[in-house]
Amino acid sequence: MIRRHMLQAAGMNTGIPRWNGRIRTAISVSGAIALLAVIMLGSRLMGSEGLAVSLEERNMAPSPAHLFGTDWLGRDMLSRTVKGLALSIQVGLLGAACSTLIAAVMGLAAATLGRAADRCISWLIDVSLSVPHLVMLILIAFVCGGGMKGVAIGIMLTHWPSLARVVRAEALQLMSADFVLVSRKLGRSRMWIASRHLAPHIGPQLLVGFLMLFPHAVLHEAAITFLGLGMSPHQPAIGIILSESMRYLSTGMWWLAVFPGAGLLLAVWAFDRIGGHLRRLTDPGSVRL
Amino acid sequence: MRRSVLGFISALLLVTIATGCAEGRDEPGSEEQAAQDGLVLAVGSEPETGFDPVKGWGRYGSPLFQSTLLKRDDQLKIVNDLATGYKVSGDGLTWTVKLRGDAVFSDGEKLTSDDVKFTFDTAASGGSSIDLTNLESVEAAEGQVKFKLKKPQSTFVYHLITTGIVPEHAYSDGYAEHPVGSGPYTFVQWDKGQQLIVQANPNYYGDKPSFKRLTFLFLQEDAAFAAAKAGSVDVAYIPSTFSSQAVKGMRLEDIKTVDNRGIAFPYVKAGAKTDEGYPIGNDVTADETIRKAINTVIDRQRLVDGILEGYGSPAYTAVDGLPWWNEQSVIEDGDAAAAKQMLADAGWKDTNNDGIVDKGGLEAVFTLLYPSGDMTRQALALAASEMVQAAGIRMNVEGKSWDEIEKLMHSNAVLLGWGSHDPLEMYNLYSSIYGGVDYYNTGFYANESVDKWMDKALDARSEQQSLEFWKKAQWDGQTGLSAKGDAPWAWLVNIDHLYLVNDKLDIGEQRIQPHGHGWPITDNIEDWAWRE
Repeated sequence: MIRRHMLQAAGMNTGIPRWNGRIRTAISVSGAIALLAVIMLGSRLMGSEGLAVSLEERNMAPSPAHLFGTDWLGRDMLSRTVKGLALSIQVGLLGAACSTLIAAVMGLAAATLGRAADRCISWLIDVSLSVPHLVMLILIAFVCGGGMKGVAIGIMLTHWPSLARVVRAEALQLMSADFVLVSRKLGRSRMWIASRHLAPHIGPQLLVGFLMLFPHAVLHEAAITFLGLGMSPHQPAIGIILSESMRYLSTGMWWLAVFPGAGLLLAVWAFDRIGGHLRRLTDPGSVRL
Repeated sequence: MRRSVLGFISALLLVTIATGCAEGRDEPGSEEQAAQDGLVLAVGSEPETGFDPVKGWGRYGSPLFQSTLLKRDDQLKIVNDLATGYKVSGDGLTWTVKLRGDAVFSDGEKLTSDDVKFTFDTAASGGSSIDLTNLESVEAAEGQVKFKLKKPQSTFVYHLITTGIVPEHAYSDGYAEHPVGSGPYTFVQWDKGQQLIVQANPNYYGDKPSFKRLTFLFLQEDAAFAAAKAGSVDVAYIPSTFSSQAVKGMRLEDIKTVDNRGIAFPYVKAGAKTDEGYPIGNDVTADETIRKAINTVIDRQRLVDGILEGYGSPAYTAVDGLPWWNEQSVIEDGDAAAAKQMLADAGWKDTNNDGIVDKGGLEAVFTLLYPSGDMTRQALALAASEMVQAAGIRMNVEGKSWDEIEKLMHSNAVLLGWGSHDPLEMYNLYSSIYGGVDYYNTGFYANESVDKWMDKALDARSEQQSLEFWKKAQWDGQTGLSAKGDAPWAWLVNIDHLYLVNDKLDIGEQRIQPHGHGWPITDNIEDWAWRE
């Protein structure tokens, strides 16, 4: 009995079929990727018929014809949810990816370009962090004239500071590592050190940072569209759909909030899952498990 | 139970007020009586500029604290209020208004002709929202006031109806927050963002209202609905989306309005620019056939049923149901075949089979803007764009903030709303001189004969006389500003104002309400009473 527990704790086979960590990781990652692919592909293939107003089919509860029900203008909630998720994921991905890139460049530059550059960048990070995200977002989106472009640029330019700080700390630590010191003594350029020695080490941090930024980006996209600076309120974006559904909760139309909300949760969770597993596969500390 | 709690609070409040403001005044009787005397209303949005009629308070609905020279009765007929009568000189330039002698302000001072002069002088001078540019001078004499105009203007009477008289002796910068007037109620307290408390004016010269105290709560629509459900308000305004739910102890009052919504088209071809540099005109909507086809294909009743839950009426002009409305302006709508025929006759055909008609290389496509914060306008815009597709026209719908709309509204169709008890609004919307002024005539509509009829209406010596001319401006058999004529607008619906009202409360006979949901309901506050 005790032996079996020990075996189980060690992750060994005790008669119940179990896959090892790598296979489980592969399965759940591919499942999550499949989910995201279905959302993106689905929104491409779906066409815009479901978004059309049809006043005769307003406020219908979920049924075989409309799996997610219809809203106050008779638009199919399944179409709106899928299209909204696709749009939000696109904006979120773009925003998070660009933010990560900016953070990486900033962090590495601070660590390698000397004291003056470090001070400048640290100051920039502190300033950016001292202003709430949303205020910066509104300012940037407003300057860019609103719309999809404004939101995307706003998210790109506001989400990098905290990750840049992590990258900078990591890179500074690496700068004093023996192999980097040797490399510098051998006359390697700063660029070379940053790209060959530092960048590979901060990869996992960037990955985790990217995945932490993604839900942020999606939620901020929702927030700014709610404030009227983003897209038109009739366009399907998950934030718009959710804020709209708030008005109808008191009238008992639960399907307006539940399905899109669950969809958002699922998409963000899928991302989190991919990130968690990829980290385990790439992080030297856990890669052998 | 609720009543007595409310009553207790109200009684406490009144005791505080009574002891605080006027010592020695009688305390209210029992709690029960206090409850019977007060009402809690969640009916309107908070006026941003306060309660100063000179700055626009009372435009829509009665000014409550102040009284006006003339007013409208339930049938919208003009009757005396502070005035005992008025006369217009033969040349239409001098208006003489006789005042009643017994009107006093709530602070006890007598209301004199000097106060009237002061009110109109202040309104004319200081950047107020009241357009008194035509007023040459005001002369105050014993018991009467003479208004001298630069040119005859029959609509001047509406300034006498809507402008509350302020006291010269008690008017200062803070007046908007502590109004003193001669109206049925006096000011007690205003907690910005929360509530306004008023009490009956003991010095009021008119029929005294049966409620001693009114509390106006400034709530969002959904909060007002929640408050009504909880039984903490006697009257609550609600949007039509909440109308299907019954609330215990409350009934739904459906009040007809001229609170209209419609699509304003750019009337001229593209090319010009405003002084600010914003583009004017749109080649597609400049075509009369396109505008008429849109007017014909839209099924207004379906919009009313589908979006307003039936609480509204189809709109054909900006003034439906008012004394100056021309009933001939009503057209047959919801007819896609007729609209298609109309377009085909004018040479609009779908040559490239994309479902959109075109003419000379120009596709019948344009953008329809709506303010992004307004759900009803969003719904109307989407539904209307869906409907016009049946005629082969595409309206790309875009929601924008008002700031952005101001830049784009002269070159794109916009979903706007109006509705006033003053035909001057119609003049502003359609007169060529108002092209591009504020939100009036955004499309730069201009028609000489319409201008001529409206000028005649302004030049008339009495309201009665002017009505005929206003009607002719809409449709005179040849042309006009309605959909039968040039169709510079596609009016869609008049939105009924919905209120949840305490079952026991009688709110009298409500008149057709103007734009602005809320305050107008208190127009006939003297008629309100508890039902036995």
